[in-house]
Amino acid sequence: MSKTYEYVPEPALVKGNHDFKDITAMITDINIRPTPKGWYVAFGIANMLLLLLLGSIGYLVWEGTGIWGLNSPVGWGWAIINFVWWVGIGHAGTLISAILFLFRQGWRTAINRFAEAMTIFAVMCAGIFPAIHVGRIWVVYWMFPLPNQMLMWPNFNSPLLWDVFAVSTYFTVSLLFWYVGLVPDLATVRDRIKSKIGKMAYGVFALGWRGSNRHWWNYEKSYMILAGLATPLVLSVHTIVSFDFAVSIIPGWHTTIFPPYFVAGAVFSGFAMVLSLMIICRKIYGLEDIMTIDHMEKMNIVVLVTGTMVGFAYIMEQFIAWYSGVEYEKFIFMMRAAGPYAWAYWIMFACNVFSPQFFWSKKLRRNVTFTFIISIIVNIGMWFERFVITVTSLSTDFLPSSWGYYSPTIWDVATYVGTFGLFFTFFLLFLRFLPMVAVAELKGVMPQADPHNYDEDGEFVPPKVEVPEPYKNQTNQ
Amino acid sequence: MSDQSNQTTYWKSLNELAQNKEYEKYVEREFPENASEMTDQVSRRSFLRVMGASIALAGFASCRKPVQKILPFSRMPEDIVLGEPLFYASAMPFQDSVTGLLVENNEGRPRKVEGNREHPSSGGGTNIYHQASVLNLYDPDRSRSPLRGGEQATLADFVLFAEEHFADRNQPILFIDEASSSPTYHRLKEQILEEFPNAEWVTYEPFSDNNALEGTQIAFGQRLRTVNHYDRANIVLSLDNDFMSPQNNKNSVEDTYKIAETRKVSSTDDEMSRIYCVENSFSNTGSFADHRLRVKTSQIPSFLYALAARLSQDVDGLSSFEEISNDFSDHEWIDILADDLLENTENSVITAGSQHSPAVHAAVAAINMALGNIGNTVTYHELPFGSDRNENESFTAAINDLNSGTYSTAVILGTNPVYTAPANLNIQQALESVETAINLSDYVTETSRLSNWHVNRAHFLETWGDGLSYTGQRSIIQPQIQPLFGGISEIEFLDIILNGDDPVGYDLVRETWADVIDGDFEDQWEQILHDGIDPDSGFEATSVSLTGDLSAAIQDDLANGPIDGIEISIKPDNKLFDGRYANNSWLQELPESMTKVTWDNVALMSPATARNLGIDPERSFSSDDVPVVRITANGTTIEIAAWVQPGHADDSITLTTGYGRENIGRVADGVGVDTYPLRTTSNMFFQSAEVEATGTTYEIACTQDHQSLEGRDMIRTASLEEYKENPDFATYQSVHGYQVPGLEEAEAEGDSKGPISLFDESYGPDYEPQWGMAIDLNSCFGCGVCTIACQAENNIPVVGKREVARRRVMHWIRNDRYYAGDEENPDAYHQPVPCMHCELAPCEQVCPVAATTHSDDGMNQMTYNRCIGTRYCANNCPYKVRRFNFFNYSKEYLTTGDDPEIIQMAMNPDVTVRFRGVMEKCTYCVQRVNRAKIKAKNETGSPKPVDGSVETACQQACPTKAISFGDLTDRNSTVSQHKMDSRNYTMLEELNVRPRTSYLAKLSNPHTELKPSNQENHSQH
Repeated sequence: MSKTYEYVPEPALVKGNHDFKDITAMITDINIRPTPKGWYVAFGIANMLLLLLLGSIGYLVWEGTGIWGLNSPVGWGWAIINFVWWVGIGHAGTLISAILFLFRQGWRTAINRFAEAMTIFAVMCAGIFPAIHVGRIWVVYWMFPLPNQMLMWPNFNSPLLWDVFAVSTYFTVSLLFWYVGLVPDLATVRDRIKSKIGKMAYGVFALGWRGSNRHWWNYEKSYMILAGLATPLVLSVHTIVSFDFAVSIIPGWHTTIFPPYFVAGAVFSGFAMVLSLMIICRKIYGLEDIMTIDHMEKMNIVVLVTGTMVGFAYIMEQFIAWYSGVEYEKFIFMMRAAGPYAWAYWIMFACNVFSPQFFWSKKLRRNVTFTFIISIIVNIGMWFERFVITVTSLSTDFLPSSWGYYSPTIWDVATYVGTFGLFFTFFLLFLRFLPMVAVAELKGVMPQADPHNYDEDGEFVPPKVEVPEPYKNQTNQ
Repeated sequence: MSDQSNQTTYWKSLNELAQNKEYEKYVEREFPENASEMTDQVSRRSFLRVMGASIALAGFASCRKPVQKILPFSRMPEDIVLGEPLFYASAMPFQDSVTGLLVENNEGRPRKVEGNREHPSSGGGTNIYHQASVLNLYDPDRSRSPLRGGEQATLADFVLFAEEHFADRNQPILFIDEASSSPTYHRLKEQILEEFPNAEWVTYEPFSDNNALEGTQIAFGQRLRTVNHYDRANIVLSLDNDFMSPQNNKNSVEDTYKIAETRKVSSTDDEMSRIYCVENSFSNTGSFADHRLRVKTSQIPSFLYALAARLSQDVDGLSSFEEISNDFSDHEWIDILADDLLENTENSVITAGSQHSPAVHAAVAAINMALGNIGNTVTYHELPFGSDRNENESFTAAINDLNSGTYSTAVILGTNPVYTAPANLNIQQALESVETAINLSDYVTETSRLSNWHVNRAHFLETWGDGLSYTGQRSIIQPQIQPLFGGISEIEFLDIILNGDDPVGYDLVRETWADVIDGDFEDQWEQILHDGIDPDSGFEATSVSLTGDLSAAIQDDLANGPIDGIEISIKPDNKLFDGRYANNSWLQELPESMTKVTWDNVALMSPATARNLGIDPERSFSSDDVPVVRITANGTTIEIAAWVQPGHADDSITLTTGYGRENIGRVADGVGVDTYPLRTTSNMFFQSAEVEATGTTYEIACTQDHQSLEGRDMIRTASLEEYKENPDFATYQSVHGYQVPGLEEAEAEGDSKGPISLFDESYGPDYEPQWGMAIDLNSCFGCGVCTIACQAENNIPVVGKREVARRRVMHWIRNDRYYAGDEENPDAYHQPVPCMHCELAPCEQVCPVAATTHSDDGMNQMTYNRCIGTRYCANNCPYKVRRFNFFNYSKEYLTTGDDPEIIQMAMNPDVTVRFRGVMEKCTYCVQRVNRAKIKAKNETGSPKPVDGSVETACQQACPTKAISFGDLTDRNSTVSQHKMDSRNYTMLEELNVRPRTSYLAKLSNPHTELKPSNQENHSQH
């Protein structure tokens, strides 16, 4: 019996039948054209928030950790929550650029640059917190294994130390990966920009790229190697971040499910953040043909899958807590769902588990506004997830006498809000000065780049070139 | 202790130094620019100058350099070795008794007090007032000079004034003083009363044992001090008498160690005494008791008379009570209690709180008499300084006379009646109207401000004095330091009035003792100074016989009956007493032993009463705001935070005094609510009141937000009977019904140390001592002295109400208090929790910079210099004993005011003062341990000190010796013995962190027929 399959071609990754020149212009003109007024407004706001961050950190260094709402038993609060949250967000970039690259997912090219930039800035935001949350910020460098006359090394047993290595490695590799990918596009901007200073600046960072075959060969190889290096990091960073909790003995922290659960959560929040940013940018910069609804839908599917994984983890945690028979473990999970922080737990649950379920509907996952709303909700939910994990376990652990409620102070909030200032300052600079889509790579996945004139059975098919509207009449004549 | 032998010569030389007037003049002349230093308040300089030999300064005579803050001991005073503390015996007066103490001196300044083991009033233990007294000494808010009409004056001015003013010996003078036991004081008092024929002398204490003395007056026709010998009692019945707490019992240290002694159990052959407690509020004694009955304060007489009526059926001497029948006559307690008392005749103690009427005390005496207890478990003693009047009544009369202009001069010694006297006496008006009012006090108090002259009193650690302990042992109070602020003691003050001359306390005391000491005076004097006690002293028991007409005495009580509706019961505060310790931040920050409230007083009420008032008895976990109630009594209204106290009697509200001060000092001001305005002469202690909720809230800083054990096994208890049946009731196996996970596997592999572990289990080497601690919950009654002692020893900063409310209190050893059972009538358990010094410490694993590590002698150490403050260790500590310096607490604490040097003198030079951003925790008093180790090594070559030679601060201070500490490699050490006890258990054993601190399970000894107040057995979860 034979069965006939109907070939469903993938939708084109770039809509609008742009040619290569168009694409180059669409993207690099953003860097070349004069700065729009709106950018200054946004940059100004971001700068003010950045000042808020710097002010908060200054006050923190001056006064001490006590300006935050931390207490005994809750020794970690917003700082660690924010750290994990930003690191989680920083996951999407490398996942999109490295893993999807290795899996030959062409659609990644429209968003990988963008996502990687977001990753780097998110990791920068994240990196601030472990540094400033310590009591004596001026000796935080003791976390690094620096040779010293006392032969005093850090404690290699400590997950916090693993964090230092994991996050710094991740940041370095992400930055390199991003920069290597940028080189051909920097050269493009260099070639197109008129101003002398611009030519100089882009020229320096383009590392003398001339687009020769040899350059491309080296580029492809190094990109591949970096993608290979970055891939395990995607899994390792959040695994190690989860060890901060999982390696401890506190009920609700001491669970083996944490590494996969944290990685899934990280991808989940990272994709949501990319979506939030992408939806705004494609609109403002008119890149709807490049970052298409199809991209959005694909990402929404990832959000749905990871969101459901996270939901599974939540339920599994509850089950294991019950199944383990450990009194404290059972209690803490009961307290999460019904204790003093139940409000946070159910915000988390609603945002992370229920909200992505709407994406089972194709209509909804292709709805821009709806996607935007969900992406924001998911990020709120993921912040609360970290809140629930960090705070509830500490708040009601073993000895009932030591239980205590934690609430943040204005400085916790200011520091957190301030990191958005840092993030958006860098992100706006990125949007303004660097090609936000990988132009060279994008061209490689356009229909125009794949001029096969044969169908899947090897029959010749004349190229079906969609004729742009103004020319249609001429062709018919 | 061995250092004591050095003390006498040293103090003699210091005294001589202090008297060296020539030398003072010399210094003032040589340093004109600093001349004020000498006469002014103390600085470190002048204090060291006294300490250092005069030669040391003479060398600087020509030197014109700026102020030198520290002077080296260029010629070392005898016996001082830098870094080696010296101990001197002394005694701390509290009302009319003293407790024998040893004072630890570091580099010439008293820094820590310990109990004097040789002194029965202490037995080596202390209470919170003793421990905190050092901070009072170094309180920069103490009055620093005499004040004339509020203007600064000198002592010389006052002496001149006194000489002139008291030259007229016939003037009518009113002396108001506080209770004192000092023989010298009473000698001078007698002299004054002789010299001043028109003088009246009254003693006023807002909380005294006047009613008890009046009770003996009724019963025996004599005002006698009651001494209960709890160590001889099988049955103790406390009627609203929290005799274990220092605010209610001048002799609490002795009484607690004696009663705890009757409840020490080391094998199943041991017996325990049984304690019954009937009270309105949940007291420490109530939590220690085997049976506790909550009744209103005003119901206590009814209960007592019902019991007496029941007993009168079986014993003679209680005929006055035969006819009585009331609400309690059919109470299940009465029969059972009567049976128990009758079974233990001559071996029981019945005691009533001093707030109860003289009739109650007379009835108690009669019952004790009828049961044959008197002479055995209860003795009565004539006080050498006793007054034959009802002191409260004579005080009332004297103030009324003062108001009517009878006296031209009022001299107020020590006491602060403007603040503490009953509100209806109008003492404020009286003092305003009197011609001359003179006041001697530690602080510029409410009374001082109304006085024409205020003279600053010196602290007991600064002056010569003497006193009698509660049971009459004579002690000399010897100064440890020159008065920091130039104050004088009360005996010196009396001497000024008497002689108008510069007083010398030393001579005054010696004069008194010259009469007392037989044989060679100097020898004996030095011996008594050295030992801290005169061995030939002590009250003789007075033989008594029931002479009074009890049925007449109890008529009032019978006629009035209990208060209908809501009563308020005003009690001395656990921490501030009558307000005298209000400026002591250690005490202010010490969690109150039952409520765990700091920095405030609250209105305690039962959950049911709260509900009736429209207050939710459930305290919010997420907010520190508690509802406020308005209490109206005697036409006075106060608003105070309501606090729901499980186990409190219904329709009864307990208030404490000492708060709501203004302009006393930085610590005291604005803390809590003044409850004295509710007191009148007729209702000093309890009365009916109108109470309503205001609808407003007030923030209370409480250190324990959750009260229930949640069925967990932190506290393990059993009755004595259960213990005898199953001595292993406290093991994990017994509690849970299965063995600690992983233990069987480990035993199969031949490892007996604990469950299998992934970590390196290398223990400390055998050639080092291995330190461990055991805390006997059966002896702990939650007084909190361990916390204060630890604070004093380890330079633990005070953080203030706001920080405590944020749960950032710094105490290294805290006292957890759990309620179990139903909320109306629960059991309460106390559990001191220091660092557990886990062998497989979870904190050590997670510190990224290895700032907390293990020592060879098995201690979990904290290296402050290395700590960067990630707080990961605190998070990972299952016992939550780690404390973080969120702010620069020590700096705030040690640099406030114009002369921070003063408070800095209270710091232990052997313990690092921690900077902000570092973690800290209990060190097992590593400074003491290492001092002992070094000494042992020097003397024996082995670093293992003999058992008992090293004591942690908490262990040393504990009056009931609940804490044992020592070397676990020594199988015979007390701590090893305790750890081998079948009651020994560790908290959270299943975590396999292997704590070195363990607990001995609590036992109770309930009457078989009387159901325990809590049916639930907590070892069975």
